[in-house]
Amino acid sequence: MLNKPAVALFATIIVVSAACGGNGATTAPTNPPVATAAPTTAVTPPPATTVASTTAGCSVGVSWNNFQQPRWAAHDKPGIQNTVTAGGGTYTDADANLSSEQQATDIQTMVNKGVNVLIVLAQDTTAALPAIKAAEQAGVKVIAYDRLIEDSSVLYITFDNVAVGKDQAAAILQKVPTGNYVIIKGDSGDPNASTFLPQGYKDAGLMDKVASGAITILNSTGTTYPADYGTFTDAWKTENAQTNMEAIIDSATSNSKTIDAILDENDSTALGVVGAETAKSMAYAPLSGQDGDTANLNNVALGKQYVDIWKNANELGKAAGAAALALCAGGSMASLTLKSGLIDPTVAPTAGLTAQPFTTPGNNTVSSFILQPTPITADNLNVVLDQKWVAKADLCKDVDTSSATAPAACK
Amino acid sequence: MTNLAEAAPASAQPKPPTWRTRIRNALARVRAPFSVALARMRALVTQTEIDLRLFGMLVALGVILLVFNTASNGKLVQPANMITMAVQACGIAILATGMVMVIVSRNIDLSVGSLVGLISMSYAILMTDWFPHILGLSSSVPLQWALALVLGIGIGVVVGAIQGFIIAYIGVPSFVVTLGGLLSIRGLIWYQSQGSAVTGLDPTFQLIGGGALGSAGEVVTWAIGIVGCLAVVGLLLNNRRQRRRYGFPLRPIWAEVVIGAVASVGILFLAWFANNNFWPKGLADQYAASHGITPPAGGLLIPTGFPFPVLLLIGVTLVMTWLANRRKFGRNVYAYGGNPDAALLAGINTRWTIMKTYMVMGVLCALAAAIAAARLNGSTLDIGVSYELYVIAAAVVGGTSFAGGIGTIPGAVLGAFVMQSLAYGLSFIGVNSPGQNVVAGIVLILAVGFDTWNRRRAR
Repeated sequence: MLNKPAVALFATIIVVSAACGGNGATTAPTNPPVATAAPTTAVTPPPATTVASTTAGCSVGVSWNNFQQPRWAAHDKPGIQNTVTAGGGTYTDADANLSSEQQATDIQTMVNKGVNVLIVLAQDTTAALPAIKAAEQAGVKVIAYDRLIEDSSVLYITFDNVAVGKDQAAAILQKVPTGNYVIIKGDSGDPNASTFLPQGYKDAGLMDKVASGAITILNSTGTTYPADYGTFTDAWKTENAQTNMEAIIDSATSNSKTIDAILDENDSTALGVVGAETAKSMAYAPLSGQDGDTANLNNVALGKQYVDIWKNANELGKAAGAAALALCAGGSMASLTLKSGLIDPTVAPTAGLTAQPFTTPGNNTVSSFILQPTPITADNLNVVLDQKWVAKADLCKDVDTSSATAPAACK
Repeated sequence: MTNLAEAAPASAQPKPPTWRTRIRNALARVRAPFSVALARMRALVTQTEIDLRLFGMLVALGVILLVFNTASNGKLVQPANMITMAVQACGIAILATGMVMVIVSRNIDLSVGSLVGLISMSYAILMTDWFPHILGLSSSVPLQWALALVLGIGIGVVVGAIQGFIIAYIGVPSFVVTLGGLLSIRGLIWYQSQGSAVTGLDPTFQLIGGGALGSAGEVVTWAIGIVGCLAVVGLLLNNRRQRRRYGFPLRPIWAEVVIGAVASVGILFLAWFANNNFWPKGLADQYAASHGITPPAGGLLIPTGFPFPVLLLIGVTLVMTWLANRRKFGRNVYAYGGNPDAALLAGINTRWTIMKTYMVMGVLCALAAAIAAARLNGSTLDIGVSYELYVIAAAVVGGTSFAGGIGTIPGAVLGAFVMQSLAYGLSFIGVNSPGQNVVAGIVLILAVGFDTWNRRRAR
């Protein structure tokens, strides 16, 4: 799935790296790092004073696990690319089409082409490891983008996934403090679905309310949290979520129970839940999601989904781009600091703009920037419009703007 | 025995039977009346000419539903739940009718899931973007749903024709061509929407997906039931007349009566059952308010009757059965599947026949896509993913043989229902999808294994 622009970019990189020795003389006084992808990179470049000249030759490679999901190409990529090129670096990328093997090949290719920093959106947290290790041995710094890589020497830049779950549950709990809940989880193989988001639900106080009897989880099969609570959705597929939800609605109706609220882990499954509610002509119960997909934000505007936890991928991309340039300039991962004002303060890590240690589920300690998600309801839809995340026409499609209940952002 | 005879040559008396023979004889005596009864029953069943395989699948379906009904404390088998299950099975069942023709003619179609996804996304884009923005149709222009459906069927036929042509006329194995289709068509879907979900379809189009509004209603459902009964009787009479006319052996009258009665009662029961599913309370209250009706104490009960997707499936099953059994196309397909060389030597245009099976498959993909898109009120990138596996499983569970020449359309439809009843039943009692997949896989192997064993025994 190597697309043409990517190939063209590779070609440019080859030309740039090849020409570096002669070309670099005008921009950089001594050894530009690009030319030294070989073992000699072990020599630390001189610090601070030459930052401008070294970032000027900084080559950043990005390995995307997929472009199938629209957000990567539409928001994350421009965020990284613009930051890197504005800082004088060069940008190159490859898309692995959801294959771990392809991703390993992509990473290897980029290392061979001589990138200084690799940004990796891993298809799998462990399958990418051999290629990552090889890259690090070649002196390439690695940033784990959005998804963790279980390696102690990466820089991890992501959104706080536990906070996503916490925000979802907090919003729904505030809207529906008592009643019958349904939990729709994502793919059973994804730690986000099985661990982090349910942890966030618990942090928001969901299980306390279950213990006190204020809330009943309709689709639970036991008392072990989170394993026995909620229904997994194979591959986060909308269709699977819809068929599962229809069975849950039928089951609730058969037992004369109402469904008062639905905690749903992400947007593609939330779309299936809305489909099931529509098919059953059921009143739309307050429903959560995450990702800020256009169709779901439209559902928020239409009142079919209550809250969508939006991860501002523009800002995530900016943070990764800036971190990549800083690493090129020779900054150490542990003390890496992002420029203030670069990232929207509502999104910036709560721990501040300096990298923080993060202990992974595999017990590695890595440096990290953990950004904050933004809950979007009908009341603050203008945020996604202001950030140019969606077009107004798409956000407000089929919204009756004359109605009193129409969200302000659509009027 | 010879040893014994040698050991006691003088004795003319017969040896007392050994214990083994005694037990065997005793068992035979006990079994005798049963085997006679069994043989008699078999003869009776043979006289009715019922398809035992189909009958067995109906029984299996009943058993599955009963087991899950017990597991759910008697909550599963209710009109609302059964209608949900039927609607969920419709897409796969519709595709399975076409897959039977493809597999019978010794081919395979792995691209159905991707083609469903492509057409489903096309419906969504046509109705949300092209019609209003390119053709400039306002939402008040009627029959947009029909236009979309026609265009979707067109896409299905064209894609089917291309794949069929490459398979039949160029001779590339169908596995390869449709595997390529599976990959490349799925890739095309991304370019249609750049990966995002497209929602907000024409309200009339949404009715294809069923639901309270997308159902036939009480009167039409009863009418369909009665027409169904009349059709059964008419078919039986016609069949009898034809047999007499050509001097074929006739079924005994009692068999005709039993078949007619059971089928009619079954059809009327389904109509009654579907009419015991009512509009959801909220919708019924809304309707009552807007029509100035004061709802009675228990709420206004408006029967939904058969949902449209189920009617679509019934229609497809009838048409496909007619195509398979009564038309030259169907006979050619079975002839080719039974013996390709003989079919060719008999003067059948085998290439055109094969190409047509893929075009038929394309039409069915468009219908299944319409149900999927209507149910979701839009389309996502992953609609139809792994449909091909469920469709092939349904056809195979329904008795279609990969050796070619064997397979029935009602069998495949029942196969789809068996698979869906398992998935829905497990989901209903709270088993997660990994568990559902394990069960579905085992049932697939068991069903085909039993069938293979049964066929070998019959031979």
